[in-house]
Amino acid sequence: MSARTNILWAVVAVAFIVFLLSPIVLLVVFSFTSRTLTNFPIEGLTFRWWQEMVVTRQFWPSFANSLIIGSCVAVVSAAVGTLAAMGLAGMPKRRASIIMGALTLPVMLPPLVLGVSLLSFYVSLGLKLGLATVIPSHLLFAQPFVILIVHARMINFDHRVVESARDLGATPLQAFLTVTLPIIRPVVIGAALIAAALSIDDFIITFFTIGTGNTLPTLVWGMIRTGLTPSVNAIGTLILLLTIGSTVIALKLTRYRG
Amino acid sequence: MTLQTPPETRSKQDSPAALLKLRGISKRYGDFAAVEPLDLDIFPRDFVAVLGPSGCGKTTLLRIIGGFVSPTTGTVEIDGRDVTKIGPEKRPTNTVFQGYGLFPHMTVRQNVGYGLRLQKKTRAEIDDRVAEALRQSRLTEFADRSVAALSGGQQQRVALARALILRPKVLLLDEPLAALDLKLRHTMQDELRRLHQEFGGTFVFVTHDQGEALSLANRIAVMNAGRIEQEGNAESIYAAPATRFVATFIGDANLLQGERHGGQVKLEAGPAFADAGPDGAITAVVRPKAVKLLAAGEGADVQIAGMVEDVVYLGDHIKCSVKIMGEQQIIVHLDAAIAPRPVVGEQVNLGWPLLQQRVVVA
Ligand SMILES: Nc1ncnc2c1ncn2[C@@H]1O[C@H](COP(=O)(O)OP(=O)(O)O)[C@@H](O)[C@H]1O
Ligand SMILES: [Mg+2]
Repeated sequence: MSARTNILWAVVAVAFIVFLLSPIVLLVVFSFTSRTLTNFPIEGLTFRWWQEMVVTRQFWPSFANSLIIGSCVAVVSAAVGTLAAMGLAGMPKRRASIIMGALTLPVMLPPLVLGVSLLSFYVSLGLKLGLATVIPSHLLFAQPFVILIVHARMINFDHRVVESARDLGATPLQAFLTVTLPIIRPVVIGAALIAAALSIDDFIITFFTIGTGNTLPTLVWGMIRTGLTPSVNAIGTLILLLTIGSTVIALKLTRYRG
Repeated sequence: MTLQTPPETRSKQDSPAALLKLRGISKRYGDFAAVEPLDLDIFPRDFVAVLGPSGCGKTTLLRIIGGFVSPTTGTVEIDGRDVTKIGPEKRPTNTVFQGYGLFPHMTVRQNVGYGLRLQKKTRAEIDDRVAEALRQSRLTEFADRSVAALSGGQQQRVALARALILRPKVLLLDEPLAALDLKLRHTMQDELRRLHQEFGGTFVFVTHDQGEALSLANRIAVMNAGRIEQEGNAESIYAAPATRFVATFIGDANLLQGERHGGQVKLEAGPAFADAGPDGAITAVVRPKAVKLLAAGEGADVQIAGMVEDVVYLGDHIKCSVKIMGEQQIIVHLDAAIAPRPVVGEQVNLGWPLLQQRVVVA
């Protein structure tokens, strides 16, 4: 390959990366703009829109909802996912992969279809929409990721340590608590954080299943209907921080190199 | 049988009661029998080797004793108690697993103290006993290291200390030396012997290495295809193998096919001699060391003529291969100082006394 084609490729690659990243960078940058519109030129930097964000009606309830839903999804999916993954790891490979395929089905469905069918499901049961309907809905698409991640760890798990623990006097429960869980804990926490990130980030399914409340994404949607102020960018940046933050920690903990 | 077997070190009558009794133990996986129904008695302070080739069911048998595999049939009794149905945590056994199964998230000290912590011993007692165990296993200086940072030999000592600290009635070891390099293996053999003596317990270990079994164990159970083919002390198994398999698996052996008719054996290679037993195909087993090169005019109970094919000096002895009738070879171990040494191509007469030969069926 000549030096010229090398340079050409480098330029294409850089352009592509810039194209991919610029919306995110602009989102963050515009949240600090001193103007009232999210466009160039940026004349100065200010925290004004961040201050405006926190006094926005509905901001704190939405923020709280996002955190409550995110943490419930994280905790429940970690507990259920770990048990499911352990069960699956003990099964013959074929059966485990069939069951996992069935469990991951909700992830494959278009979120819009999932949201609509969940809504009609809850309505037909006569359930009142709210956090209690959002959380299970989020679990539906976040749970499979936890199962997949923990399962990947469990199939490489050295079961001799569990046998050692039993041999040294541990009941099955003691062996799980003192040996299995501490060994896989980083992966479980990492998977739970990924579930939390997916939950905090979700708009479509939340929109259909939350009723009258808001989470940060649905709040953003409500705000942009009345006009795009840089406050929206501030909320967007906040969501970005929450999801990227938990994903970074998660990747560290699960040592996932993808 | 024509061979004088060395006296068994223990006869069933005057022995103390067996500590571990297996009765009719078998294990099937689907149609496949990993362990065929077998009985085994193990006595207090025994150091027993379960010896057999890979895949013969040794690990399965050990795991049945430890409580990790439930037998298809039979009972396991330890110290007068039937433990067949109870879990490993309630059995008075501890195991050193193949690959050790150390806890990677704990230090050496925490690994060794794990069993005592589960027993809810006081902090002081745990600290004392762990310190003592670490000292005995020469692990004190590694006490606060992660087990992942240890060498294979050190990991093995942690696994041993972790099991022995609970003072098991029976210590089970699965191929304890297989993962170590040759030099370390010899050190660990000495270490195991020392631990067995100091600890005064009963050890059962599984191995495919006959040298290991002979040098460590006072009793050997030779397994083949899920069966215990012979059980006894090392001397009797070496000198009086009960089956053709045992003869070939323990030590070198020359095998000579033959036929028995009315108490008269005729070997395919020529010689005939009297030997009581049922009619049918037999194999005569003779150790290389028992075979002599006969001088002219010298006689022996069994004699075969042959031609020297190979002579190898091996330091403490000379290994001489002699080709006899029917393309068969007989290996002879000669005194290293023998003079004159046989030379390749020389015609020789081999012979051995009936007393040094063992006749087994088939
Ligand atoms: N869980 C199992 N399922 C099916 N077959 C098994 C299982 N465990 C062991 N076996 C089979 O039983 C035989 C004996 O195994 P094992 O006791 O591990 O032999 P060894 O320790 O003597 O090498 C092997 O052929 C092995 O494939
Ligand atoms: Mg084995």
